[in-house]
Amino acid sequence: MSKRSAVLKAIKSFFVFWKDFLVGDSPVLALGVLIILIVAYLLRYSAILAPLVTILLVLILITFTVWQKAHPQTAVSSRR
Amino acid sequence: MIDQSAILLFVAVALASAVEATEALTILLASGITRGWRSTFEGALLALACLALIVVVVGTALIHYVPLFALRTVVGTLLLIFGLQWLTKAILRETGFKASHDEHDIYDKEVATLSKEARGIRGARDSLAFAVSFKGVLLEGMEVVMIVISFGLATKSGDQLATASLGALLGVGVMTTIAAVVAQPLARVPENYMKLGVGILLTVFGMFWMGEGVGVEWPLGDAFLLVLLAIVFITTLGLIAYFRRLHEREMEVYA
Repeated sequence: MSKRSAVLKAIKSFFVFWKDFLVGDSPVLALGVLIILIVAYLLRYSAILAPLVTILLVLILITFTVWQKAHPQTAVSSRR
Repeated sequence: MIDQSAILLFVAVALASAVEATEALTILLASGITRGWRSTFEGALLALACLALIVVVVGTALIHYVPLFALRTVVGTLLLIFGLQWLTKAILRETGFKASHDEHDIYDKEVATLSKEARGIRGARDSLAFAVSFKGVLLEGMEVVMIVISFGLATKSGDQLATASLGALLGVGVMTTIAAVVAQPLARVPENYMKLGVGILLTVFGMFWMGEGVGVEWPLGDAFLLVLLAIVFITTLGLIAYFRRLHEREMEVYA
C-alpha cells in the first residue's frame, strides 16, 4: 500500500469513526436535533415561544424516534 | 450552597461512566480469564491514560480558546444527540421492542472468540489481549470523555471539569470494585435503568445548553433545569407505559 493511500485510508477511517460515534444508527435523530437547533436560533428573541417550541420539538423527536425504531416498516411505508 | 446543576452533572457523569464501565469490564474479564491478566491490564491502563490525556489536553484547550456561547451550542447539541440516543434505546429495551443488553451473552461470545486464537510464548506479552482490552476501554470510555468534557466546559464558570472527572472516576471505581469482588460479568446491574437516567439527564442538559448557546432565555435561569428534568421524566414514563402496552398487544396478535 502506498503512503498516499494509507493516509487517505486513515482520514476516511477517522471520519467514519466520528460519523458512527455521533450519528450511529439514528440519522433521523441527529438531523432532528440540527433542525431543533436552527428553530431555537430563529426564535431566540421570543421569550415565550423559544423555550416552549424547543421543548415541544425535543419531546416530539423522542416520541417519533421511539415509534420509528419500534415500527421500522410502518415508518418507511408511511413516508412513501 | 451546593449548586443544583453541579449535583445533577455529577450524577449524570457518574451514571454514564458506570454504564460504560460495566460494558468495558465484561470485555476485560473475558480477556483476562482466557488470555491472562498482565497484557489485559496493560492494554486497559494505556487506554485509561489516553482518555485522561484527551480530557486534560482537549478540555484545557477548549476552555482557553473557544468562546462560551460556541462551546455551549456545540456541547449542547452533542449532549442532546447522545442523550436522545441513550434514552430512545433504553425506552425500546424497557418496553420489549429491543433485546436487553445481556452481559453474560457478550462475555460468552468474547471468551469464544479469544479462545480460538493461538496463545503466544508464556510470559511474553499477549498482543491480542492487549489490543482487545485497549480497544474495549478506549471505545467505551470515549463517550464518557465526551460527556466529561462537555459537562466540564458548558457550565457558566467553565470550571466543572474537575467535578465531572470526579463523577466519572466514582462511576468507574464503584463498578471496578464490584467486578473485582464478584469476578464475573456484571449482569445483575440494572443497566437499563441507569441508561434511562443518563439519557434523561443528558437530554435535559443538552436541551438547556444548546438553547443557551443560540440565545434562548430559559425562564428561572439554571433552576429551569429541574423543570426540564420533570418534563422529560414524565414524558419518558408516559412513553414507556404506552409502548409497553402496544408491545403486549402486538405480541397477543402474533400469538
